[in-house]
Amino acid sequence: MIDNIQRIQEEARGRITSAPDTGELDRLRVHYLGKKGLITSLLTQLRDLTPEKRKEAGALLNKVKEDFESCFTSRQGELERVQVEQELKSSPRLDVTLPGTYAMTSGSLHPVTRVLDEAIAALRQVGFSVATGPEVELEFFNFEALNTPEHHPARDMQDTFYIEKPVLLRSHTSPVQIRAMKSLKPPLQIISFGKVYRSDYDQTHTPMFHQLEGFMVSESVSFADLKGVMHYVVKELFGERPLRFRPSFFPFVEPGAEVDMLWGESVDKKSKATNPSDWLEIGGCGMIHPNVLRGVGYNPDKYTGFAFGLGLERIAMLKYGMGDIRAYFENDRRMLEQF
Amino acid sequence: MQLSISWLRDYLQKPDVKIVAADLSEKLTMRGIQVGAIRQPSAGLESVVVGRIDKIDPHPNADRLQVTRTVISPEPGAEPLQIVCGARNIAEGDLVPVAIIGASLPGGIKIKKSAIRGVESSGMLCSAKELGIDETSEGILQLPKHAVLGEPVSKLLGGKQNEDTIFELELTANRPDCLSMIGLAREISPLLKTKIRDPKPARFRMSQHRTSSIIKVEVEDPVLCPRYVARVIDEIKIGESSDWMKQRLESVGLRPINNVVDITNFVMFEYGQPLHAFDLRRIQSGTVRVGPCKEAQDFTLLDGSVAKLEPGDIMIFDGDRPIALAGIMGGLNSQVVADTTAIVLESATFHPQQIRKTAKRLGLSTEASKRFEKTSDIAVVASASDRAAGLLQDTFNANVYHPAIDTNEFGVKEPVVALDMRDVKRIAGLTQLTVENVSELLESIGISSHRKSTNVLSVRLPTFRADLRESIDLIEEVARLNGYDSIPLKYPTSSAMYDRPEETRYEFERTAKQILVGLGLRETIHYSFTSEESLRRCGVLSEHRVVLQNPLSEEMKVMRTSLLPSLLETYRYNHNRQIANQRIFEVANIYRSEPRAETKVKETIHASVLISGQQLPETWRGKSGPVDFFQAKGALESLVHQLTTATLNFAPTSNHTLFHPNRAASIRLGDREIGQVGEVHPIIRDNYLKTTEAVVLFEINLGALRKLEKTSVVFRTPSKFPAIEVDLAFLIDRDVTSAALQKSIEASAGALLTSCFIFDSYEGERVAAGKRSIGFRLGFSSLERTLQDSEVASLKTKVIETLKDQHSATLRDS
Repeated sequence: MIDNIQRIQEEARGRITSAPDTGELDRLRVHYLGKKGLITSLLTQLRDLTPEKRKEAGALLNKVKEDFESCFTSRQGELERVQVEQELKSSPRLDVTLPGTYAMTSGSLHPVTRVLDEAIAALRQVGFSVATGPEVELEFFNFEALNTPEHHPARDMQDTFYIEKPVLLRSHTSPVQIRAMKSLKPPLQIISFGKVYRSDYDQTHTPMFHQLEGFMVSESVSFADLKGVMHYVVKELFGERPLRFRPSFFPFVEPGAEVDMLWGESVDKKSKATNPSDWLEIGGCGMIHPNVLRGVGYNPDKYTGFAFGLGLERIAMLKYGMGDIRAYFENDRRMLEQF
Repeated sequence: MQLSISWLRDYLQKPDVKIVAADLSEKLTMRGIQVGAIRQPSAGLESVVVGRIDKIDPHPNADRLQVTRTVISPEPGAEPLQIVCGARNIAEGDLVPVAIIGASLPGGIKIKKSAIRGVESSGMLCSAKELGIDETSEGILQLPKHAVLGEPVSKLLGGKQNEDTIFELELTANRPDCLSMIGLAREISPLLKTKIRDPKPARFRMSQHRTSSIIKVEVEDPVLCPRYVARVIDEIKIGESSDWMKQRLESVGLRPINNVVDITNFVMFEYGQPLHAFDLRRIQSGTVRVGPCKEAQDFTLLDGSVAKLEPGDIMIFDGDRPIALAGIMGGLNSQVVADTTAIVLESATFHPQQIRKTAKRLGLSTEASKRFEKTSDIAVVASASDRAAGLLQDTFNANVYHPAIDTNEFGVKEPVVALDMRDVKRIAGLTQLTVENVSELLESIGISSHRKSTNVLSVRLPTFRADLRESIDLIEEVARLNGYDSIPLKYPTSSAMYDRPEETRYEFERTAKQILVGLGLRETIHYSFTSEESLRRCGVLSEHRVVLQNPLSEEMKVMRTSLLPSLLETYRYNHNRQIANQRIFEVANIYRSEPRAETKVKETIHASVLISGQQLPETWRGKSGPVDFFQAKGALESLVHQLTTATLNFAPTSNHTLFHPNRAASIRLGDREIGQVGEVHPIIRDNYLKTTEAVVLFEINLGALRKLEKTSVVFRTPSKFPAIEVDLAFLIDRDVTSAALQKSIEASAGALLTSCFIFDSYEGERVAAGKRSIGFRLGFSSLERTLQDSEVASLKTKVIETLKDQHSATLRDS
């Protein structure tokens, strides 16, 4: 009996694993495992055996039955996979080079906003936080508090739009300095940004443009720290570039400077420009004037501060090579969609 | 300010010191005296040679041109050049300047071989203007008969020819001292390793006559005029200045007028001290009086224009009659004229702020006012007067009365300020400088000081540097002279624990922009001001608008009361360039007058969106339908739901100029209207946008939503039990709103209703006229159990009955 079972097992395994199609496999299943199949008939024959033999043969039969079932399942899987593969071979292939059709248009930020976000992110990372202030300002915050009294010749530097004296459109973001210093206590590390207005219109000037301004007040900052921060900002925005600080005059800072960045290819081994016009101005800066500190109630003998301002269109111009500043506010879609 | 290097040498102890323009320019720039441009007026003239016109033929293709054959070599039989010329004042045999190929003229013209209207031309015949030796000129410059063919023309131009180099300086407002040759020499001499040569006191013979026997000077208020020096000079012979003088003036951009005026201008450029000469005959009262104008009046200036004087303007009077607008411009009634034989020479200082105020109001900016308004040097008032008197005597032996009248009410004071090295370190970051170093640096530009202690220097503030007043000014000066480059670079110790401002406003706006970008929209930025017409066209020319007092133009006059007009303008701009499917947004302030606000203006942050063209981008699969109201509303809802926790309501609105009367809604937050959404009114679409496609847009007051910013989420556990969905389609009167139906459904279905979705809204052939079909998919579920079908069936019946009662809605058979 046991020999017989073993023989059947071997024969059946060979037939199942080589069954050519699922029809043959079904027939084999009926032949071995069906109600009138071989296994069933062998099971009925167990009754004729001695109890010991019956136990042994019964266990073997059950094992064989399980073995058959797993053989059927695995052969079934193989045959089905072959069938699917054959079907796929004859089905058409997609043109995968056609454009995708996910139904969405691309949005974008304006180049000025992009530059602004980049600069703000860089400065927040080193401890600056953002303050905001109004665009329509009082002369006091825009000028007087910034050490620029009425009839000061420096007022010519910024041709200002007036609503009605003393209300004006801020000509720089520096009034935010004053408002922030008045409401907070030193030490401070603040940036502000936004639209500013000057009565000027040509290829390099628009009556509205954007500034980013940063300032820091503490018991220990000097012009050396200002240099460090300017280098950091420029490095974040443009990568490592030589800078130079050129003495200049803004009434609210002293010592005051303009910052030039070396642009283009003309850099020799000592990081010097081979052509003076390769130094491009990127902003103004300096140590906050003691009169400004005094005006907001900070003791200039105890606290020092630095401030810097950058023109965002100017930065975008350099970063993206977009020359005519007026184009920033024309909103030509062919410009917008490049960002 | 133009700096003539050749003139500058007159004030250097080593006048022949080698000056490399590029090098000096770089050094000056790094000292804060920015050199905008360097010009060499004579550059290029070496390639302009003497030529003789041998033959003139008409140009075959142009009536106004002639074709010359011009010889530029003395060799007999030399080959003439063919040169095309447009001037008419030439004749065969003329000797003329010829710019040969390769020449580059002072005006920037580069001479190349070219064809002019089909005729080859190998050079250019030049006018005096083209050679940079005269401001205007007519026709080709005629050279004297003795000129030698082929020689550079510059040799013939005598005194006018020079090797000068001109620096165009871009001075900052704090450095009026650099508006003079002496001031510039003071600044530049240490850069050239030489010293300034102070001009010697002018020497001249004084006549027997006393000035005070002719005139008196009365200064009404010494604050307005701290010092007034007057001289009488006669035996004046008005005429042309010498070539030397003219050349000096021209080199710095001044036009020579006559010998007297030229000398006053020369001294002004030398000392930075403006002078004025009155014709003595016009001082009829014998008293030169300085004082404020008492009443508004008209006054004719020497350039013939009429100035509207106002009380307070500082005037020079002959007795009571105004004769000059002090510190700005003289009067026509007292100026030096051709037959002037005697003058009163004025040298004075005036109140800078008042000069600036008057000049600014009158729109006058003169060489004099530019110097006075930035504070002129009180110490040189008398020396400049002496210098001019000396030059007048040298020029035509003028007779100088003695002594000059000098009011000098307050005297010349040089205050002393303490400069502490610890402050230099603390502020400028310069750690290495000692009092000795600093003293030397200051001394190099003529500022004297002495050591007070190890760390403190006493510095005498010179009158020629009005910008130096306190210690901080000296700190900057030291840093400047030592070079900003030598300040070390370090990184500040920063701390995020410092006192910080509220950043929520910035964050809120930035998030709004990012959401809009995520919706496939492109950010635009427009000017904050626009034209009244642009606002009127869209019906938003509010009575609360804010108007600029001094706009650049009508197009930039009114602060925006809405962002939508700008989006429409941009739509039009792009539409005119055949750009379809516009999807743009702007987040910016609008402005309205608000009497209670600090600035009487309230700024409010708004967001606006414009969408045109297809609902979805066209692909190779096909097109979707055109955009409509619901696209704009969808974009708005996405923005508001992502950004805030606000629940908005929408009410039909038909009274907007900008919006289609049947396809627009007022956006409400509670009872407050915070914006509008809709399709552009057909009239604006046709007449202004000039388009046939639908354009939809919205604008919303973001400021009003800021308090509702989504900063946190209250999580609700989803039900573990299955939901049951029920579709119900109703037939309703077409004007019943879905919002009203939804409200009734929610009220009647109670707490088990967990979703209510509109799957259809239809009106048309398949329903009766005036009716609409609307379909709701209601979802019911409970957090505690599986709902019974019978429970849901009874809720469904309740909903159907409620809608029937409240809205006459009838259930459609599905």
